[in-house]
Amino acid sequence: MAPPKPRPPPDPKAQQYALSVRFKAQHALTVGFLTLLLLLHALAIYLFCSGFLLSRLVLPDRSECSIPPIQPANGYVAGNVEQGCWFPKRFDKAVIVVVDALRYDFAVPFEGGSGGKTRGQYHDQLGVLWETSVAEPARGFLRPFIADPPTTTLQRLKGLTTGSLPTLVEGGSNFAGTAIDEDNLIEQLNRAGKRTVHLGDDTWHALFPGSFDANLTRAYDSFNVWDLHTVDDGVTEHIFPLLEPEMRGQWDVIIGHYLGVDHAGHRYGPDHPAMGEKLREMDEVVGRMIDKLDDETLLVVLGDHGMDVKGDHGGESEDEVQAALWMYSKKGTFGRGNGIGLEPPRSAKERPVAQIDLVPTLALLLGLPIPFNNLGQPIEEAFVGAKGIDYKSLAEVGRLTAAQIQRYQGQYSEARKLDEDAASTTRPLWKAAIQQWQQVEATKKASQGALKSTYDAFAAYQAENVRVCRHLWARFDILSMGMGIAVLVGSVALLAAYAQAITGDRAAITPVLLGGGLAGLALGAAAGAAVGYLSSASIVQSTSFGAGLGGVIGISVGFWPARQELRIPYPRTFWGGLSFLTCLLLCIGFASNSFTIWEDEQLLFFLTTFGFLMLGSSLGQPDRDDRMLGTWNSVSFLAATRLASFSRLCREEQMPNCRSTYYASASSSTSAAWQLAIPIAIAIFLPSIIKYFFHRTKNYQGSAVIWIGIALRIGLFLVAGFWILDAADDGNWYPDRSKSLLKTTRVIIAQAVLALAFAAGYATYIFASPFLAVINEPAPTEALSSTSKPVDVDGGPSILTTINAKPTARPKLIILGYANTQGTRYLLLALTWLLALLLLQKPMGQGTLALCFISILNLLEIIDANNLRRSALGPVVLALMGSHYYFKTGHQATLSSIQWESAFIPLSTVSYPWTPILVVLNTFGAQTLCAIAVPAIPLWKVKPTLPGLLGRVAGAVATHSLVYGGFAVATVIEAAWLRRHLMLYRIFMPRMLMSVAVLVVVEVVGVVGGMVGVRWSMGSVGEVFGWEE
Amino acid sequence: MSTPGILPIPSSKSASDPPVTSKPVSILDNDIARLASNVHPILLVSIPLLSFPRLVEDPISALIGLASTTAVIQLLYCLVCLPSTGQAPPPPLKPGQKRKSVKLAQDLGARLVPALLSLLLSLFLSTPLLYITLILFGGPLTTHLPHTALLALHLALLITPQLYYVHGLDALTWRRIVSLQLPLDEVVGMSMGACVGAWLGAIPIPLDWDREWQKWPVTVVSGAYAGAVVGKLVGGHLVRGWKIKMS
Repeated sequence: MAPPKPRPPPDPKAQQYALSVRFKAQHALTVGFLTLLLLLHALAIYLFCSGFLLSRLVLPDRSECSIPPIQPANGYVAGNVEQGCWFPKRFDKAVIVVVDALRYDFAVPFEGGSGGKTRGQYHDQLGVLWETSVAEPARGFLRPFIADPPTTTLQRLKGLTTGSLPTLVEGGSNFAGTAIDEDNLIEQLNRAGKRTVHLGDDTWHALFPGSFDANLTRAYDSFNVWDLHTVDDGVTEHIFPLLEPEMRGQWDVIIGHYLGVDHAGHRYGPDHPAMGEKLREMDEVVGRMIDKLDDETLLVVLGDHGMDVKGDHGGESEDEVQAALWMYSKKGTFGRGNGIGLEPPRSAKERPVAQIDLVPTLALLLGLPIPFNNLGQPIEEAFVGAKGIDYKSLAEVGRLTAAQIQRYQGQYSEARKLDEDAASTTRPLWKAAIQQWQQVEATKKASQGALKSTYDAFAAYQAENVRVCRHLWARFDILSMGMGIAVLVGSVALLAAYAQAITGDRAAITPVLLGGGLAGLALGAAAGAAVGYLSSASIVQSTSFGAGLGGVIGISVGFWPARQELRIPYPRTFWGGLSFLTCLLLCIGFASNSFTIWEDEQLLFFLTTFGFLMLGSSLGQPDRDDRMLGTWNSVSFLAATRLASFSRLCREEQMPNCRSTYYASASSSTSAAWQLAIPIAIAIFLPSIIKYFFHRTKNYQGSAVIWIGIALRIGLFLVAGFWILDAADDGNWYPDRSKSLLKTTRVIIAQAVLALAFAAGYATYIFASPFLAVINEPAPTEALSSTSKPVDVDGGPSILTTINAKPTARPKLIILGYANTQGTRYLLLALTWLLALLLLQKPMGQGTLALCFISILNLLEIIDANNLRRSALGPVVLALMGSHYYFKTGHQATLSSIQWESAFIPLSTVSYPWTPILVVLNTFGAQTLCAIAVPAIPLWKVKPTLPGLLGRVAGAVATHSLVYGGFAVATVIEAAWLRRHLMLYRIFMPRMLMSVAVLVVVEVVGVVGGMVGVRWSMGSVGEVFGWEE
Repeated sequence: MSTPGILPIPSSKSASDPPVTSKPVSILDNDIARLASNVHPILLVSIPLLSFPRLVEDPISALIGLASTTAVIQLLYCLVCLPSTGQAPPPPLKPGQKRKSVKLAQDLGARLVPALLSLLLSLFLSTPLLYITLILFGGPLTTHLPHTALLALHLALLITPQLYYVHGLDALTWRRIVSLQLPLDEVVGMSMGACVGAWLGAIPIPLDWDREWQKWPVTVVSGAYAGAVVGKLVGGHLVRGWKIKMS
């Protein structure tokens, strides 16, 4: 028997290999766990939004002149535009005057002091509408004109031209914005070969690009609410020449959109002399139009919405929805039906018509087919005849309109695969109306009463249909919202536990959490699917909820074995408490519309608070180096934050207390020429500033030199070149150079920058060695000096950077850059992203984003100087900075501030998935940059082989996401709670959408960018210094 | 900027500060001082309360008028109640020992100079610094210049004279003041309270209540006065001697 072999000494190489495998496994599991949390958040958001964001499908169908929805009566042959498509037309031409924000009570006489109302400046100023309706009832009529909220001009114009109801999300409509994709009046005018002229508010051009006569149309900027006269004077100047006899052949329909009344309201409120003056001006304009009008032309004056007591609008209060509609023609074909007095309604409560009713009315009067998706009904006065007895026409137009609605509903349910329930109340009404019609048609000479009741039957069908649609499209699904909130609260609580409750090594606990979570997710999904299958609940919904809830429970169970290492995550330190308090205040503030509107200023306030406290704390540091480092970086942080805050893009609600500086002017979306200096200055100075931070700890070595000194600088100059070319294109600096050449050059430059950032940058990042240099120093004659400041982490022994600490005369190896090996090695990743993100911002945004990056570097140094690496301070301040610089890169918590054009920086056409990714990187550029920087906090200036480092990185990433998770929970709950609030659509819903989008983006970037990225930086450091035990 | 990365280890140790040993400041041990110290918060809180309507109506003239009143109050407070820089606290009395009568008038004369100096420092050193601070916090840069300047003046009068008077201009002490290392007492409490009050005073500004008093800088001034009084009372009694652990 052979003697037992002595155990071989552990092979250091094999041991290192085993440790590296363990690191990679732990890393993969941590990435997996954070991805699981992201998935849970996404499920919760999906559940909530599917209950909250009601959507309507936009159908591609168009009404055809020759294809009526039902056979026209009396043998009328459809298809002739000259005669009228489906119904004999009444007018050749029309002048449609939109007086923005023309509230109904502006147009009717003031009635004494009834109801305690006092006479306002706006009363009895615009009398012409009322007077003509009373004096010449066959020529004109006036009725209250009720808008469907939201009462914003853009939404209203959609309703006034498509005849459809507004919903939050119009599924199927195009990606980039505002142009109307549905069948509408303007398109029908074009299809019928009519020339449409538009004068005034340029919103029309956003909605109907290219639809108006190019020669006669004059559009004016609608944004500048301070200017009461430019738009109005322009409309008046151009509309009257067109009404002259010699110009009448040039157009068929004129749309004039006056903004003065609306702007007077926004600026002064309705009860102000300026409003009276503006209304008198409108009175005079309408009077002159009446004089100029010929017999074949219809004149329509309407308000798209009203205004509240402060002159603002957007919500659903009575004052905001009650507009006025007045129609006039010298033909004298208008009338009043049975039992209706000649006098128009005195208040908007009597005989109101819906704004969508204008669509079939105008279509039939002008001989156009009714737009496919119209839900309105014809207005009685327009068809009942001057004597008020033409119920035959009225019944016919009612029938045609109802038939078109019926056709639309059929198509819609087919496209949406709706069950039949939705039509259960409308179908009997439709059948009854059709039956009645057939009886009337069968009798040779139908009585007035029979015809009227037929008309009423079709009107009843239409009314019920609108009610059903409103219900379907404007109803919150409380159950789905509740499920979403439950899963979101649960998963964000788990994130909080993972980020702040674990006292041991986070990376060691993670595998169990991941396993529990995945098992719970699978079991929950299966259970949810089973419930959905067996019951009537939606299977997608129940499966999502089951998966979300199962995941939350599974992870909670996974925490159980590690319960000894948990503590209640309440803040324990000064900085933790301050971070918590700040986030809490912001979350509470999201329930208030004022604080939500002024969020940008609040973030400046909070960041400055942090800056001053960090300054104070740094000044109190006993160590002189720490003190100087922290002090100067705090000062720089404060200065950069305040400097960036001068970049503003104001939202409408911030007016008049805000001045936009992001673009050349408040009413433009192009940069000013001087702003082009910003990218050039960045290209010159930013690499040097970054170099300084690397140089301080002697880490400006190897790949850092190549990337910061050369590649980044070239990339930044290319970015500057791109934006100069862009400005040249916008400003038409080189009229002799073709636009396409400029565009192509620009796109190539942009693509080169992105390639440099993401291909070359990532390759460098993955393969670089740590930024160290080794110096062989011969035997010194003096006492040795260390190369770097000792790093004392958590009371561990001081690390000297010399290999040989004995002051004997022996040659030494000095490692330069030891002190910040981990931090600088990781920061290279943030630099590659920085280049790409800078490209995608406008010049002003580049300036602020560069300041953001400098602030990040300052923050890293401050945290080092005060030794706050393990505090929540760093990740929380980064999250606040992400939010702050979001506003400073020309964004607001509104859908309208999305810079869609950023998709075309490196692309010529829309291309999926790149276009949405580019828009997201532009919109959330600041949050992305800050999220990428988070792992640098625990890595900055730590011992390269510090144990538990991976867990700390995961903790920092989780803490950072937690802030956004808290914002998401707060805004989601508040949006659900305030779902009947006047400001829901303008303020709370956009902020909620932003919160949930940011949460997903930040978590994706945190995982895919930061957490995955750490693998290579820590890996390369591990290769050099050995892996942690 | 800061020192470079290479530094011999011993030198960084030698640059360290000595540990904090200071004790909370007590007001002078005589009846007049005690009485004045109690009257002081009443005066301070009544200033913004009584002149609030005028402050809202015409902030500039109201603030100019109030500044001198506050300056006098603070000066008297320092003179009568507080020990001046370097003035050793009276030795603790042995049981049964009778206090020697202090020559109050002579003493006051000796303290008038440091008190006036404190006021001047507040005026010419603290006010500009606080003006910059207000701008950094988001105060208006191009408009409302007199408003912001007067606000800075009032903040300076509330926050700093007592600190200059008691703690002098020693750099180490001031570094400890701004890093909140000193034990809480009524002097530090009043200064911190004024800061916190002004901070809280900014909160109602953005609310859409359309109140006249929301205008700049009414809420911040009022908050600072209220905060100073609350801070003085809390710091002087409730949490006296406590220390804030920043890190």
